[in-house]
Amino acid sequence: MRVGVFICHCGNNIAGTVDVAKVAAETRKLPGVVYATNYMYTCSEPGQEEIKQAIQKENLDRVVVAACSPRMHENTFRKTVEKAGLNRYFFEMANIREHISWIGEDKELNTNKAIEAVKMAVAKVMNDKPLYSSSFKVNKRVMVIGGGVAGMQAALDCADGGLDVVLVEKSPSIGGMMARLDKTFPTIDCSICILGPKMVDVAQHEKIKLYAYSEIEEIKGYVGNYQVKIRKKATYVDWTKCTGCGACMEKCPTRNAYDHFNFGVAPTRAINIPFPQAIPKKAKIDPTFCRQFTKGKCGVCAKICPTGAINYEMEDEIVTEDIGAIVVATGYGLFDLDKFPEYGAGRYPDVITGIQYERILNASGPTSGHILRPSDQTEPKTVVFVSCAGSRDKSLGVPYCSNFCCMYIAKQAILTKDHVPDSQSYVFYMDIRSPGKGYDEFTRRAQEDYGVKYIRGRVSRIYPKGKKMVVRGADTLLGTQVEIEADLVVLATAVISAPGAANMAEKLHISYDTFGFYVESHPKLRPVETNTSGVFLAGACQGPKDIPASVGQGSAAASKVLSLFSKDMLESDPAIAQVNINACVGCLKCVKTCPFQAIKEEVLRSGKKVAKVIETVCAGCGVCTSTCPCGAIQLQHFTDNQLLAEVNAICQS
Amino acid sequence: MSTEKVKEAIAKVLPDVETVICWQGGFDAIHATPCFVSSPEQIDKVIWSPLCAQNLASYLPSMKKKVGIVVKGCDSRTIVQYMQEGLIDREKVVIIGIPCTGVVSVKKILKEIGHEAVLDASFDGSGSITVRTPKGEKTLAIADVCPDKCRTCQYPTPLVYDHLAGDPITSDKPKESVYQDIREFDAKTLEERKAYWEKELDRCIRCYACRNACPMCVCQDSCIAETREPHWISQKLSLQEKFMFHMIHALHLAGRCVECGECDRVCPMDIPVSKMKKKINAEMKELFNYETGVNPDDKPPMFTFNVDEVKIKEHKL
Repeated sequence: MRVGVFICHCGNNIAGTVDVAKVAAETRKLPGVVYATNYMYTCSEPGQEEIKQAIQKENLDRVVVAACSPRMHENTFRKTVEKAGLNRYFFEMANIREHISWIGEDKELNTNKAIEAVKMAVAKVMNDKPLYSSSFKVNKRVMVIGGGVAGMQAALDCADGGLDVVLVEKSPSIGGMMARLDKTFPTIDCSICILGPKMVDVAQHEKIKLYAYSEIEEIKGYVGNYQVKIRKKATYVDWTKCTGCGACMEKCPTRNAYDHFNFGVAPTRAINIPFPQAIPKKAKIDPTFCRQFTKGKCGVCAKICPTGAINYEMEDEIVTEDIGAIVVATGYGLFDLDKFPEYGAGRYPDVITGIQYERILNASGPTSGHILRPSDQTEPKTVVFVSCAGSRDKSLGVPYCSNFCCMYIAKQAILTKDHVPDSQSYVFYMDIRSPGKGYDEFTRRAQEDYGVKYIRGRVSRIYPKGKKMVVRGADTLLGTQVEIEADLVVLATAVISAPGAANMAEKLHISYDTFGFYVESHPKLRPVETNTSGVFLAGACQGPKDIPASVGQGSAAASKVLSLFSKDMLESDPAIAQVNINACVGCLKCVKTCPFQAIKEEVLRSGKKVAKVIETVCAGCGVCTSTCPCGAIQLQHFTDNQLLAEVNAICQS
Repeated sequence: MSTEKVKEAIAKVLPDVETVICWQGGFDAIHATPCFVSSPEQIDKVIWSPLCAQNLASYLPSMKKKVGIVVKGCDSRTIVQYMQEGLIDREKVVIIGIPCTGVVSVKKILKEIGHEAVLDASFDGSGSITVRTPKGEKTLAIADVCPDKCRTCQYPTPLVYDHLAGDPITSDKPKESVYQDIREFDAKTLEERKAYWEKELDRCIRCYACRNACPMCVCQDSCIAETREPHWISQKLSLQEKFMFHMIHALHLAGRCVECGECDRVCPMDIPVSKMKKKINAEMKELFNYETGVNPDDKPPMFTFNVDEVKIKEHKL
């Protein structure tokens, strides 16, 4: 065996704290290693050329590169060795950057550790077996999960690109958060006026199949061939008959149902259409409030419906869709007021959230666009906005910035002045974050043209005093305490991950961070890909994002799907589980533990029961290999012996 | 506790099955040995007494045809576990259960009589055994020479059976006593525990008797202690390798060990090998609220893949 080892300086990234020449010198002493060198940038074109030439000149049959994380360049180098005529799996990467040079400052210790890392990689590469991928057909249909603006954009772009699209939305209408907004910054154009046409396009596009009020039940399969079970939740209204006339809503005697669309600003009816531009514009019964369900009698809507669409017996329905790729655009959630005892924890009707204020400002909202405060329906003259209500607050578990609050506060303050010219708005802020195009000009306009008073400081307490709410806070620029008697207080509550985000990630087998936001494949270079091939991200499910960024990601995800589907066949990853039927004892523990149902029982001609891996379904997670008591099932490229060789390389020396 | 009732039951079951697995007298008066009764005339040699310590259920997974089997309460847990793991077809097993008040440990008796040759042994029906050797007679209370598992037995009556030879009895041992020894051992320091296991396991001769007698070991001859592919441990007789083998066996039994004590019974070096498995069982009980071999409908925790477990908070959201 002739192993060649290439140690990368990565500029000063590695060479700064690792003696790369010494690592190369020590590596040359290892059995099997016939060539070891160090180079400035191994991933550069001349760096790769050097590997190719060494393979030819030194007749190398295995290659180790000691450089950065394999997540970055493993594929680069696999291609390099393949071009030089080796099997792409006769290559190993030792991560001496993220694991060593970046984390330790002691050059001697780092160098020793780097030598050990290389030893492990050499031991592994000498045990590597050639692997070959097979190819499989791609189902060129895409599923978009979430019908907010990011999901709609992804769906439209894919559909315009000629793909069949399945769009799944969990609420009764598409539109997401953007459909709830009144105006958008920094142009103050009407949100629904720009979103509405897109929603109609989605509804009318012959390539888009929309499942509204539906949720993902189960996802099986792999890139190119997913089977997704969708739960169509019972609406108790036959949508094939419902015309969206709204007669039921008018006559419904239950007037205290919680209005999810309006974030509870005002109650709604037990049967309702969320908003006038809803797509699909169909009614839905909320059984937690409907008298027919709570008391067992009523039936008013069934009597009034001109098309006889009401069906109290309706049950959830499960449908299965076969698709090849998934765009996840599940959006975000918001902190509730109950997180803020110092601001009344939701007990004061005139302390509301930003999104609630958005509904109050909105012409199709409960106040028909007149600013009326919830307690007594009077016009507020003094409005206080509190930014970072939860955001950038470690004690509440949200250390990050919610991205767009600074901007919408400025917008809402401007709109307040527009609606109530004799009003005065105050904004308590930590920093004004307005880095987008035209954003800083916008926040300045709020201050300079609309007289919004910005107070740099945090609010310590909000309490009622007569009909007013007293907002007590600090003005850190003046170094004093301030108290403002407000008629209405708007809290810019923190953006958090969508409810159930973690659960959805588990179904999709994608990673999520400690806050429930989905993790992209690379923060800079692969922003809409996930580490699960065939699953892409768009919008705020990946982190708080404003509309332009979400739309941009929707389009980016669509382009990724289109390029994935530009091929008819995809190559499978051969690093999957394989059963040694001679060693398999047929206990079939693996069948029961496989998270992907990729293993089944097979009876050999001898009558012996063994496990069999379904190659295309196996995701190579390795649960079966740790379950198998006799080691008969092995993950290719990560077999017990290959890993033991690595362990022995550093433990037995 | 009468041999007659067992014989009657066997006679009743025999026409339906290929063979009935039960016990007969062994080479001396304190040993019993498994026997396979396939015709009515063989029934005579069947015995049932506290000597019948072997867990006969171990034979079941290898049986191809329908068989009968005689089990004690503890042995029945093996059958229940087999059912949970799908290792036997319940339709092909006819179970004759025996309510049992405890068996004896031959090792403990031999120790008491100083390893003298046994000429004769008899039970007096009130819980003691009298052993006659060339050096005289010795009467021992069964409670003193029973295996440790009998001291905390929770299931004296089999948990599954088709015929019961005798009347059901319930345990008079407190439930908390089962893992008392483990709790006491856990209270020791790490160094003490390490020293304990080094001393005990150093005696191991890697005869694999514990593994071969284990009813739940599914691999047997394909054991990774002896394979090259994968090559987890070498054949070197070092403490390290011995330790590794016992760890592998214990981990392969995580949430599967039915605490029948066969490993302890067969160990020629008298190593308390069941203790490791019992420790893991105690953890399984704590983590998954799972007890092996009790309810045929239970799912062994290690046979499932759940993203979240009630007591393991990997996913905090």
